[in-house]
Amino acid sequence: MKLNQIWLATIAAAGFATASWAADGDVTTNSTDAGEVEALKKEIQALEQKVNGLEQQQAPSQSSDQVQELDQKVRVLERLRENDKDDAAAVAKTKPLVKLDSSGFTFSSADTNFVVGLHGLIQLDSRTFVDTPPGFKQGNDNFLLRRARPIVTGTVFHDFDFNFTPDFGGSTVQIVDAYLNYRYNQPLQLEAGKFKSPVGLEQLQSDTWLFFNERTLANNLVPNRDLGLELHGDVFGGIASYAAGVFDGTTDYNGTTANADVDNNVAFAGRVFLLPFKKSNIDALQGFGVGVGGSYQHDEKNAGNLTPGYRTDGQQTFFTYAAGVVSDGRHWRISPQGYYYYGPFGFLGEYVISDQQVSSAVVTKQDLNNTAWEISAGWVLTGEADSYNGVTPSHPFDLGKGQWGAWQVVARYAELNEDSDALANALVSAGSANEAKAWSVGLNWYLNRNIRANLSYSHTQFGDINGTANAVTSKAENVIFTRIQLAF
Amino acid sequence: MKIFLKILLAVALAISAGANAKEIKLLNVSYDPTRELYQDYNAAFVKYWKAKTGDDVVVSQSHGGSGKQALSVINGLQADVVTLALAYDIDAIVDKTHEIPADWKNRFPDNSAPYTSTIVFLVRKGNPKGIHDWNDLLKPNVTIVVPNPKTSGGARWAYLAAYAYALETYNHDDAKARDFIKQVYKKVPVLDSGARGSTVTFAERGIGDVLLAWENEAHLAQKEFGADKFDIVTPPLSILAEPNVAVVDKVAKKHGTTDVAKAYLEYLYSDEGQEVAARNFYRPRNKEIAEKYAANFPQLKLVTIDDEFGGWTKAQQTHFADGGVFDQIYQP
Repeated sequence: MKLNQIWLATIAAAGFATASWAADGDVTTNSTDAGEVEALKKEIQALEQKVNGLEQQQAPSQSSDQVQELDQKVRVLERLRENDKDDAAAVAKTKPLVKLDSSGFTFSSADTNFVVGLHGLIQLDSRTFVDTPPGFKQGNDNFLLRRARPIVTGTVFHDFDFNFTPDFGGSTVQIVDAYLNYRYNQPLQLEAGKFKSPVGLEQLQSDTWLFFNERTLANNLVPNRDLGLELHGDVFGGIASYAAGVFDGTTDYNGTTANADVDNNVAFAGRVFLLPFKKSNIDALQGFGVGVGGSYQHDEKNAGNLTPGYRTDGQQTFFTYAAGVVSDGRHWRISPQGYYYYGPFGFLGEYVISDQQVSSAVVTKQDLNNTAWEISAGWVLTGEADSYNGVTPSHPFDLGKGQWGAWQVVARYAELNEDSDALANALVSAGSANEAKAWSVGLNWYLNRNIRANLSYSHTQFGDINGTANAVTSKAENVIFTRIQLAF
Repeated sequence: MKIFLKILLAVALAISAGANAKEIKLLNVSYDPTRELYQDYNAAFVKYWKAKTGDDVVVSQSHGGSGKQALSVINGLQADVVTLALAYDIDAIVDKTHEIPADWKNRFPDNSAPYTSTIVFLVRKGNPKGIHDWNDLLKPNVTIVVPNPKTSGGARWAYLAAYAYALETYNHDDAKARDFIKQVYKKVPVLDSGARGSTVTFAERGIGDVLLAWENEAHLAQKEFGADKFDIVTPPLSILAEPNVAVVDKVAKKHGTTDVAKAYLEYLYSDEGQEVAARNFYRPRNKEIAEKYAANFPQLKLVTIDDEFGGWTKAQQTHFADGGVFDQIYQP
C-alpha cells in the first residue's frame, strides 16, 4: 500500500504542477490542455496498474508464510487436543469402577485385579406351631431374625478371592464363612479357611435360594461348614465340577459352627457333580445334574464329635444321643444327589448315609448307620426359569406398572431314620424319636431379584420313640412359616 | 494324609492340563512401532511351530510406548514374552515383579537383542529446510517432532542420540550439550506418548519439518504415505539402539507356555526371523542377511549407550528420572 500511495502522490503532484502551470498560460490553449490531462490520467492509470501488479507479486509470499504459520499452529492445537482426548480416555481406563446393582456394591480397580464387593442377607421369619392341644407348644410362636449377614467378598492381585461373612441372626453371633481362594484357573482352585464342606447338595445351595425357609430332614446327616483346605474347580466348560479337601472334621449338621476342632484327627471330604447335557442342544436336559458327595473321618472318643441333635423343620430337636455316648472311631458319609431344572420346574433330591461308630459306658463300640432322603419340587407359576441359583422375575414388582414379580409353589417330602441299634443299645436319650417323616408345601413370592416373601406349612411326624415321648416328639409337629428376605 | 494330598494334586493338575491342552496362546507385549514386524513374524513362527510340533499357536500382540508397556506388565498384564524398546524397561519389570530373572540378557544371543536399529530424520520431500545433521535442527523456523522420552523408548534413544552428537561436537562439555538439547526440545510443539503417535503427528497431521524416528519407522512412514512425500536423512552420527526380548517366566509357567515362549524368541535369531526383521527395516544381527539388505541401512557412526552414557541405569537416572536432565530442560 505504501508504494502505491507514494506513486499516486508523486503523480498527483506532477499533475497539479502541470495544471497550475497551464492555468497561468493562455486560455485558448484549453483544448490542448484537456488532451494533456487526459493523457496524464491514462498515464496515472497505467502506473496504478503497474503498482498494483507489483504489490500483488509481493503479497502472496508474505501472506503464504503467514498462512503456513497459522496452519501449523492450528494443526498443533488440534493434535494437542487429540492427544489430550487420548490421555483422558487412558486415564478414564485406570479409574476405579463403582457398581451398584442387584448383586450389591462392587468397587473395582480399572484392570479388575482388585475387587471388593459388599453384599448382605437378611431374613425375618415367623414360626407358628398349630394344631396343638391347649397349653402345649413344641416351639415358641415368634418372629425371629433367622439370618443377618453382611457379606464382604473380593479379589486381590487378580487370582486371590476372599469371603468374610459373619452372622448376627439367631441367638449367637458367629463367623459363617472366612476363606481365601486361589484361582489358578477355573479348573484348578485352592481354597483355605472356613466354608461349606463339599458333601450335601441342599447344604451347598445358597441360603438365599432354598425352596423353603429351612432345609430338609436329610440335611441333618451332612456336615455344615468346616475349617480346612480344598482343591476344587469346574472342568470341561462346567460340565463337571469337583471338590476334594482335608478338614478338621465336624459333626452331622450343626447350625452353630465352630472355629476350632475338638480333637486331633482330620476329615476328608469330596464331591463330584456332573451336568452331562449342559453343552448339548437338548434344552430339556441341559438342567440335569447328578453327583455324589462323601466324607471320611476317624474320631477320637469325644461327645463333641456327635450331633448336638437332629432337628425338625420347625427347628426343634427330636433326637439326641444319651448322656455318656461319645464318638469312637470312623465316621463316613455318602450322598448321591441330583437336580433337574427345566423352564419353570425344578426338582432336587438326595440320599444320605451317615455311618458313625460310638461307644458308651456300657457299649464298647457300636456302628450306627443313619439314613435320610428328600425330594423337593418347585413350579414358578409366572413362567420364569427356575434354577439352583434361584429365580429372577421377568417383571419385578411395580404396582404402578401392574407388575407382580414371580410366584412359585413348592412341595417336598423327607425322612430320617436313626439306626435301630442305637435304640437297642440304649444310646438314645429318653423321648428321642428314631424316625421322622415330614412333608411341606409353600408359596414363594419373588418381588424382584433382591426381595422375596415365603409362606409355607410343614408337617412332621415321629416314630420309634425311646420310652415316653418328650415335648417335641409326643405329637406331630405342624408349623406355619413366613419369611421376608432381602438379599443383595 | 500326604498320599491323599498328592493324589488330589495330581488329579487336579491332570484335569487342569487336559482342559488347557487344545490351544496355545501367547501374548507378546511390545513397543509402539513393532506392529508390522510382529504381524509378519508371528505368521512365520506359527507356521514353523505347527510344522515342528503339530500344535497351533495363537500370538496376540500389545503395543504402546515402551515405558508404558513395561508399567502395564508390572501392573498385571499377563505377557508371556516382552519385546521392548530398551533394556531398562525389562529391568523395571525384573525389579518390580521378579517375574523375569535378573540374568535375562544372557538367555539369548547378543544381549537378548535379536535386531538393532538407530535414530534417523524423516523430512518433507526435497528436504526444504536442509536438515542433514543434528545441528541443522536448530536452524530458524525448523520445527521438530519427537515423542516423550518419559513414556517412549524410541524417544529416549532419540534424545540420547542428539545428546551424544552434542557431546562429540562440544568435546564432552556437558553444559553445552545440555544447552543444545534444551534448544532442540524448544522446537518440539507436540510430545506424543509413543513413536507411532509422533509418526501420525508428522506424517498424517502434517506438523513439523523433521521427525526424529526409529529407522524402521521412518521407512515404514515412507512406505505407508508414499516416497514422494518424505525423505529419510541418515545423520553422520547416531546411536545404536538395541531393542531387547525376554520370556516372562512366571506368567509363561502359569500359562504352561514356557517352551513355546522360549522358542518364539529363539526363532527371531533364525534365518527366517532375521529376514523378517530386515524386511521390516530392523538391522539384522546375521551378517549375510545384513549384507543382503545393506541398501536399506546406510553406514554411519553409531555410539553405544554403554560407552557414551555408562549404561541404561545411569542414563535413566541422569536424564529421564523425575527431576533429571529432561525435566530440567523441557518446559511444555
